[in-house]
Amino acid sequence: MSNILEVSGIHTFIGQYHILQGVDVTVPQGSITALLGRNGAGKTTTLKSILGLASVREGKVIFDGREVQGMPPYDIAALGIGFVPEHRAIFRDLSVEENLKIAERSKGEYLRKRDFIFDLFPDLKRFLAIPGTRLSGGQQQMLSIARALVADNKLLLIDEPSEGLAPVIIENMMAVIRELSKESTVVLVEQNFLVASKLAEHYVIIEEGRSMKNGKMQDLIADKATIHKYLGAA
Amino acid sequence: MKIFLRKNSALLITLLIILVFLIVSSRGMSTQDFYITVLRSLSAGSVVFLVAAGFSLIFGLLDVLNLAHGTLYMIGAYVGWTVFVRPDTFVDLLAPAFLLLSGLTLTGVLKRFTGKFTLSTTARRLISWGMIALGVALAALILSRYPIAMWDLENYTRGPVTFSFFADKEMRLPLEHLSFEKISPVLGILGLLLSSLIYASGIALLGRETRAVGKFNWRSIILFIVLLAAALLVIIFNTPLTEWLVKIDSTWLFLVAIIVAIAIGVGLGAGMETTLIRPLYNRPIYQLMLTLGLSAIGVEMVQAIWGRPGFIMPRPSIVKGSGEGCPATSLAGWLENKCATIQFFEGRIRVYDEIIIPVLGIIVLIAVWILLKRTRIGMIIRAGVQDRAMVEALGINVRRIFTLVFALGVGLATFGGILAAPSSGLNTGMGASLQTSALIALAIGGLTSYPGAALGSLLVGLVQQFIIKYGQIGIEIPFTDIIFKPSPPLVPASTVLLMVIVLLFLPGGIMGKKD
Repeated sequence: MSNILEVSGIHTFIGQYHILQGVDVTVPQGSITALLGRNGAGKTTTLKSILGLASVREGKVIFDGREVQGMPPYDIAALGIGFVPEHRAIFRDLSVEENLKIAERSKGEYLRKRDFIFDLFPDLKRFLAIPGTRLSGGQQQMLSIARALVADNKLLLIDEPSEGLAPVIIENMMAVIRELSKESTVVLVEQNFLVASKLAEHYVIIEEGRSMKNGKMQDLIADKATIHKYLGAA
Repeated sequence: MKIFLRKNSALLITLLIILVFLIVSSRGMSTQDFYITVLRSLSAGSVVFLVAAGFSLIFGLLDVLNLAHGTLYMIGAYVGWTVFVRPDTFVDLLAPAFLLLSGLTLTGVLKRFTGKFTLSTTARRLISWGMIALGVALAALILSRYPIAMWDLENYTRGPVTFSFFADKEMRLPLEHLSFEKISPVLGILGLLLSSLIYASGIALLGRETRAVGKFNWRSIILFIVLLAAALLVIIFNTPLTEWLVKIDSTWLFLVAIIVAIAIGVGLGAGMETTLIRPLYNRPIYQLMLTLGLSAIGVEMVQAIWGRPGFIMPRPSIVKGSGEGCPATSLAGWLENKCATIQFFEGRIRVYDEIIIPVLGIIVLIAVWILLKRTRIGMIIRAGVQDRAMVEALGINVRRIFTLVFALGVGLATFGGILAAPSSGLNTGMGASLQTSALIALAIGGLTSYPGAALGSLLVGLVQQFIIKYGQIGIEIPFTDIIFKPSPPLVPASTVLLMVIVLLFLPGGIMGKKD
């Protein structure tokens, strides 16, 4: 199994702050990998560094066999990365349908993918014409994921999908992410260890801007000491 | 319905206040005065809107408060005047313009070579700006010897004022023909081409993208050749082209002037954004200083080229007629006799000022609205105003959209300039005063709201024109017998007062977003 994404030893600055100080992430093709760690550990910044939204000063990001660090974000994303940011970033002045359409990278992509997307998220179909931010939190999360599915993406970066959602909706969303991972590789940032442990096959623990530990999720679940040390609660 | 009312309460109350204002003011003056004043408000509002709309688009998407916008509006007017009144100067300038632009089409191709050098950032910057300066200096040197028909600021009889006067009377002073005296044509053409290639290489080196971009771009090579051929053709056919432009109906020449003014605006906007504004994103104070400085430079340049005194812009023939059948009694009559005015009750309305300008203003309003709401570019602009990074994360090159919006915004301003010129004339203060009105209109309407820009401009137009009208006829102060006549300085003051009142109640402007 080859690796679709290899992040090695990246250092990232946001403004003058040295946020990432050596992060390695290896993501095998067709898997779900979870980035774990406490608040402010640098998980979101790692996702942003992969996409070029935060500037990587040192280290390498290799996506699908290409070195992408230093490239502008739109060029990196166009190589086939879908991004579901934390807080969803739904465009307020765009209708639900426009929020999907804007993600097209070639003409007619949305029309071709529409049925697939509405099979996954039947709710969205009913609200196509209303502004995206009028949806409920769960629906906005679905829309944000759906937006990442319009273009053909080999890799999905999903940041905090369960944040602020009711348990029933989280279940629903986990089923969707599992379904998606059949088609593309997923990198997940997740505070909720229960969700992450059920979804992901691999994990990387990030602490104070450094990657501390990685491996198979089933090993981590058994390793209570590590969980306690880096993630607090068991 | 309830939600609609609550969401748009500010807008509805404003419309209600406008309505009440109109009804009240209609009782204080004769019907024809009232309608004419309303039309004039629409006209003034349209010009303010053309500047304010660009302002608001640029500020909304790019977060850049472009204080040079008013100056660009003025440049639009002066450029349009040049095409309209001195077609010979315009034709003479075409060839150098094409030559100087031709190099820029090759920046993409040149990048493939400049990308091969590995340089430190400082060295790269020094060399590229050095090359740009060298190219511009060489171009300036050659242009100083290149034959371009010019008016003479020292000699009143051949100054802009005189040319305007004669053009207005449909008589033209003898125009100059192209003759290479101080420089040989071959040297002139090759020199300009060389200087253009030098600064294009500098610009190519300036870009940080070192990767070779895609396939070899044949389209830019073809564009380069087309520009070269166009330059040569314009030089060869200089005299017939000039004579043709002089001969055609001045309405068509005015259309040419509008197109050139818009093209100059779009070009200046794109050039400004890519070279000067781009390094300063996220540094608002520097942007303000830069655009303020550019605005001062622009005013000085206009004074150096066109002179300090203001002058008129002749009206195109279609709104100049005054002979038999004028003032026209209907639009058909106007078209037939090309009258300057139309009979309206007992008064007359000027076709250009009070009908054509508002109509064009409304057309632009709708066209830009369609661009924003119905096209993919509009969708990206609306999304980019809110969250630039997310748009980029979707794989969209927002930078290109930035350049486009800046170019569009400046193009609207130069269009406003040429449109206003025949009615307001040209002077070097026109940009500053209009920019103030546009900024006030935006503050009233809500800085980044496009409909807000329209509404704010309309309000500014109404207040200005009604105060001017009352300055002539006076207002009866109720319950007294005092007749108050607002003096001219109260016109700008009144719009500021309106802004203060609106901002006291709605700090974000009428259509401004709450957050």
